[in-house]
Amino acid sequence: MAEPPKLRVLMVSDFFFPNFGGVENHIYYLSQCLLKLGHKVVVMTHAYGNRSGVRYMTGGLKVYYVPWRPFVMQTTFPTVYGTLPIVRTILRREKITVVHGHQAFSTLCHEALMHARTMGYKVVFTDHSLYGFADVGSIHMNKVLQFSLADIDQAICVSHTSKENTVLRSGLSPAKVFMIPNAVDTAMFKPASVRPSTDIITIVVISRLVYRKGADLLVEVIPEVCRLYPNVRFVVGGDGPKHVRLEEMREKHSLQDRVEMLGAVPHSRVRSVLVTGHIFLNSSLTEAFCIAILEAASCGLLTVSTRVGGVPEAFFFHGLQVLPDDMVVLAEPDPNDMVRAIEKAISILPSINPEDMHNRMKKLYSWQDVAKRTEIVYDRALKCSNRSLLERLSRFLSCGAWAGKLFCMVMILDYLLWRLLQLLQPDEDIEEAPDIRLCDQRDVEVSEGLKEEDKVRNG
Amino acid sequence: MVSSSVSNKRYTYIHESESNSTREAIDIHHVIINGGRATGYARRRGIGFFLVLLASSIYFFLGKENPVRTLSWGCLLSGFLVMLQSRKFVNKEYVIIMPTFGIQLETQYLSGKTVSRFIPVGKILKPVLVECVTPITCYWSLSLFLRGEEQLTLVFKELRPPLKMLVPIWKALCAAIGTDHQSETIAEEEHDVSS
Repeated sequence: MAEPPKLRVLMVSDFFFPNFGGVENHIYYLSQCLLKLGHKVVVMTHAYGNRSGVRYMTGGLKVYYVPWRPFVMQTTFPTVYGTLPIVRTILRREKITVVHGHQAFSTLCHEALMHARTMGYKVVFTDHSLYGFADVGSIHMNKVLQFSLADIDQAICVSHTSKENTVLRSGLSPAKVFMIPNAVDTAMFKPASVRPSTDIITIVVISRLVYRKGADLLVEVIPEVCRLYPNVRFVVGGDGPKHVRLEEMREKHSLQDRVEMLGAVPHSRVRSVLVTGHIFLNSSLTEAFCIAILEAASCGLLTVSTRVGGVPEAFFFHGLQVLPDDMVVLAEPDPNDMVRAIEKAISILPSINPEDMHNRMKKLYSWQDVAKRTEIVYDRALKCSNRSLLERLSRFLSCGAWAGKLFCMVMILDYLLWRLLQLLQPDEDIEEAPDIRLCDQRDVEVSEGLKEEDKVRNG
Repeated sequence: MVSSSVSNKRYTYIHESESNSTREAIDIHHVIINGGRATGYARRRGIGFFLVLLASSIYFFLGKENPVRTLSWGCLLSGFLVMLQSRKFVNKEYVIIMPTFGIQLETQYLSGKTVSRFIPVGKILKPVLVECVTPITCYWSLSLFLRGEEQLTLVFKELRPPLKMLVPIWKALCAAIGTDHQSETIAEEEHDVSS
């Protein structure tokens, strides 16, 4: 008979599979490793097209695709109180102990955290991105974040840069913020068994072709490098609004045979694309923590990247440099500096040993380690004392002259609505869902996890 | 007739079956709304309608000449609307399982009307317990996969009995159509994640 789970975690975010990205990956891998550690994990996200309702993924990971419409960039339409009934139902029926929200841009996450705090649950928040302070969008986003994090138990950031950014934006105490870097699935990202020949050097770029990922820099850098080195070719994977600019660049400089555009690459095929290359180029203008370069390094590619945000930290671990300077080349986000960095990379390419790089990454980056550290954060959150409504309201008042009072009103109304819901549908009326365990306990490696979705017929 | 029952605040579940042979007997599973609730709905709805019409009647009273006639029309209308609504109030739903023949799903309304549907056993592929998620809540439902139909057929159309009442009905349905529910706990399907 299996032991009862130690912790029961609800991961909430607008961003989850079938949408693909860093946050989605993070939630999935972290959930799988927590399940292996014996905890129960449930994910809550909004419905994607026809994918609505309850689904079970590998390892018994239960996902609620709640039928709320997404409106802008896959985030749920913010109704502030609209999600209270369903969040309450899910928290009660799954007997959740900790609620873990992901990504500052996710409205569902903020609403769920607010409702969870009102109902007395412990909450943890992970911020995955860096944001600005100057433009109108950022100012509003930061105010929302300030409200959301005013009352939180613990927060997690993926790099020291991200921690500084989050603390400045939200006014949160740094003592409450933990830094847990992302990891990479080294079992999936292995170097090719036979290294491709260095007669023709292949530079791989895999990213969304958007402004903040530096697609404009690529448009400047690629023709210059092709001009200087006739034996270099580029492979560009990914899609986005800047795709058109890259196509124009190809046409203008007649680089159709030297620049291959693959379009959107599903995550399961990323490794097969990476191993065809020698160098990985990352031109992001801002990055909290770049998993893509870890994946490339795990596949034995030499990395050239812009020195922004948390990227330099990706190569340091507990203050120790994971990859030495001759395995990663950093450049300023300027076309000339990047061309110079690529030149340096091409010159040091013969001395690279892909297997060696992979082994170093494998020793230091693993999702199991991230899960253990996250477990510590959960335990710390559970030890935080329960606060009464008045104590919580006093925290909101410090958020600003007008904003503080507005936030207090919002929380009071949330509290009253919760009590009304309890009158209409008492807590005992919400049926608890049974814990469904997959009866054939396959020991599925995380590397296979992405491919399968198990639909469970229960009984 | 062997009878067992389970009840909670909202529903009562009663199971009747023949005592000697188990497989060949007709099984009847009833789910009944507990008395107070159905009439409570009607009472609240009625009061609601009456109040709305009383308020609008008072408005007309202030403006129009013949308030008594307005009020009486108002009461008639509200009574008529309440009666219309009460046709939708369900008293109970039941499932009659006739092994090797089929199942009959019946819904009995407060007004006395009964709607029934017979499904031959050959048409049923599988009974399943599904968790349904709406924007506001999440609940369990018992549904049937039918041959030739794309949508699942709900066994209980109006009522939402709890899982502990649905499980014995599900097991009985599985036994009736010859599915061994013990080995059928997991069915795996691979789907394209990119869909």
